[in-house]
Amino acid sequence: MSLARRNLFQDKTRLALSIGGVALAVMLVLILKGFLAGMNRQITSYLDNSPGDTVIAEEDVVNLLGATSLVPEGTDQKAESVRGVDQVIPILSQFIILDLHDKKQPAYMIGYEPDKGGGAWQISEGREPRSKWEMVIDQILAKRHGLVIGDEIEVMGKDFTIVGLSRGTTSWMTSYFFVRKQDAETILLSPGATSFLLVTSTEDADQEYIIERLKKLSGVNILTKKEMAANDLKLFAKVFSAPLRLMVAISFLVGTMIVGLVIYTATVERQREYGVIKAIGGRNRFLYRIVLTQAFFASIAGSTLGILMANGAAQWIMTVRPQFLIVFDPSDAGQALVAGLGMAMIAAILPTRVIANLAPAEVFRK
Amino acid sequence: MISLAFHNLFQNKIRMVISVGGVALALLLILSLDAIFSGVEKRVTAYIDHSGADIWVSQDDVFNMHMASSSLPDSVARKVKTVEGVASVSPIMYLTNNVVAGDERNLAYIIGLPENAKFGIPWKVLGGRDLPEEGEVVMDRSVAEKSGIGLGDDVEILGEEFEVIGLAGETSSLTNSIAFISSKDFEKMRKSYGTFSFLLVKVNKGESPEAVAARIEQKVKDITAQTRIQFAAQERKVIKDMSTDVITIMNLIGFLIGLAVMALTVYTSILSRRREYGMLKALGARNKDLYFTVLAQAIISVVLGFLFGLSITALLTAALPLIASSLILEIRFTSLLKVGGFSLIIAVVSAVIPIRQIADLDPAMVFRGK
Repeated sequence: MSLARRNLFQDKTRLALSIGGVALAVMLVLILKGFLAGMNRQITSYLDNSPGDTVIAEEDVVNLLGATSLVPEGTDQKAESVRGVDQVIPILSQFIILDLHDKKQPAYMIGYEPDKGGGAWQISEGREPRSKWEMVIDQILAKRHGLVIGDEIEVMGKDFTIVGLSRGTTSWMTSYFFVRKQDAETILLSPGATSFLLVTSTEDADQEYIIERLKKLSGVNILTKKEMAANDLKLFAKVFSAPLRLMVAISFLVGTMIVGLVIYTATVERQREYGVIKAIGGRNRFLYRIVLTQAFFASIAGSTLGILMANGAAQWIMTVRPQFLIVFDPSDAGQALVAGLGMAMIAAILPTRVIANLAPAEVFRK
Repeated sequence: MISLAFHNLFQNKIRMVISVGGVALALLLILSLDAIFSGVEKRVTAYIDHSGADIWVSQDDVFNMHMASSSLPDSVARKVKTVEGVASVSPIMYLTNNVVAGDERNLAYIIGLPENAKFGIPWKVLGGRDLPEEGEVVMDRSVAEKSGIGLGDDVEILGEEFEVIGLAGETSSLTNSIAFISSKDFEKMRKSYGTFSFLLVKVNKGESPEAVAARIEQKVKDITAQTRIQFAAQERKVIKDMSTDVITIMNLIGFLIGLAVMALTVYTSILSRRREYGMLKALGARNKDLYFTVLAQAIISVVLGFLFGLSITALLTAALPLIASSLILEIRFTSLLKVGGFSLIIAVVSAVIPIRQIADLDPAMVFRGK
């Protein structure tokens, strides 16, 4: 053990560089994972915070964000007549690309009826839209573009006045904005159209019974909000998982190579000493343990530093670019340490082979 | 001194492989991310690029197709047709929805095509026909294969059954695919009689699309007319504006990792040659020459790492479409320039610590046996 420690600590710059390199690789893995977790939270924010627990969508539509939905006329009245249903809240939603200061900003428009609900769940400043051509936009989006209450934004040829700023309604990809449903119908040239119906139930209602009855309505698909949120997550996971896995795999390889290089160099430098140990009867297993101890130390120290750096970097990124949400799960730290151990195991292969092939007599020949 | 740099670098092959490999992987992080987004940009405009139209007409203030909605009354088609310089018009319908095959749900841009459409139709048909009639669909082949669907099978769109009569290529991206049905089916399902989404315009020979687009905007109210090139550029801008921050963050991390790997390898390599450098100093070699050797060594490693990273990216670019046709990568010259610049900075910065080591090296140390 003391030999392993001495080998590692003899050159402090090399040790610092190796720990730093592993830390950066681990940090990248954690940031990527946290970034995905944050995005998942942002993706489902509307479904997580809007009223109701059941959603009525057009037949075959299973997503809120992915697909265009148009529920048949009169579905809201039919749904309201189901026993146990308290309220049926219509929304008309559509992705729209806003041109803000020469930047394309994809945004998800929610057209809703303010007296029924379904709008922004947290208004940090201002109020809900009450009259024609009024809107609520996300406070971070507003800040990024220097927009304040009273400013106007052009949406599909109509000028909307910002009357409120909402919180928790943005992500790096897109942002929600809220207008009156009639205004949404006008700009989408779809009078009377409804994309989704959010269904709330009375306190003593039987949820399963309500869903069963709603499923009997024609031309619609009935989902719980949880199911729909899971479908949206699945859709986005499909998009981002391949590039993300590629990045994580590269980071892991980089970390492994860094530890490998350090341990290999440290082993080669001490080749003579290892030869002497072998010559005086030291078994290979004993030497392997020295190499593995070094690899584990560099990896675990690097991983631990990486976890700390990831937290620091995440805070910094979220301060500089508030549209990013990076969320760490406590299990991520454990996974990072396991990844570190994996790096150590793989990194130790080459140096152990050097030792295994070492002929003790070589020491005396050199 | 260059030969000394080469000698130092190539003497220990394992260290060289780790050093070049490490830098290559770090640069690969940057290169592959750039290539992924460039690939997405390319696929996102594939339909527009291959539409065959010179001008795209959309609802007022609608500049994009993806993540956007456009609705125009039929009267717009008639009005645009009368504008000077317009050869033909072809209205298409468009929405995002699922193509359901068994338990598989695939998000797709559903395009409604008029009878005998010439523009906006599938441009690469790998099986069957290109124009769907009522009750028929042309869908992406890779999506069909993934769902176990072939020609003659049925899929469900918006609750209606459609028979697959054509399989198209290059119509899937990371996010979705494209499916083509007839306008009549589209109208029936959406009850969108008397409206369409976009108007694809072909101009007369010799006419400039820019001039005709300007004329259309002048003559027809409440519409946006853009040339195909302008429309595609707007689509690319969406991807670019969305991805800039992500790319910047990833570039920074990739750069730091590359720097750490390079600094570590150059440092360990110089350290192991400490005695030789001391000897050279004792024999009268100037510090400047030795610095040059260190720098040359770092630059050679980084150049090799860059080439290796580029080769892996090129390999991924060629191999990934064979495994997952929706994920295409494209290496752009601007990305190469950027990564090349990063590489040079990495080489120079990573040489700083070893140069300081050499500067502090006492030639007498060699004779003291240190």
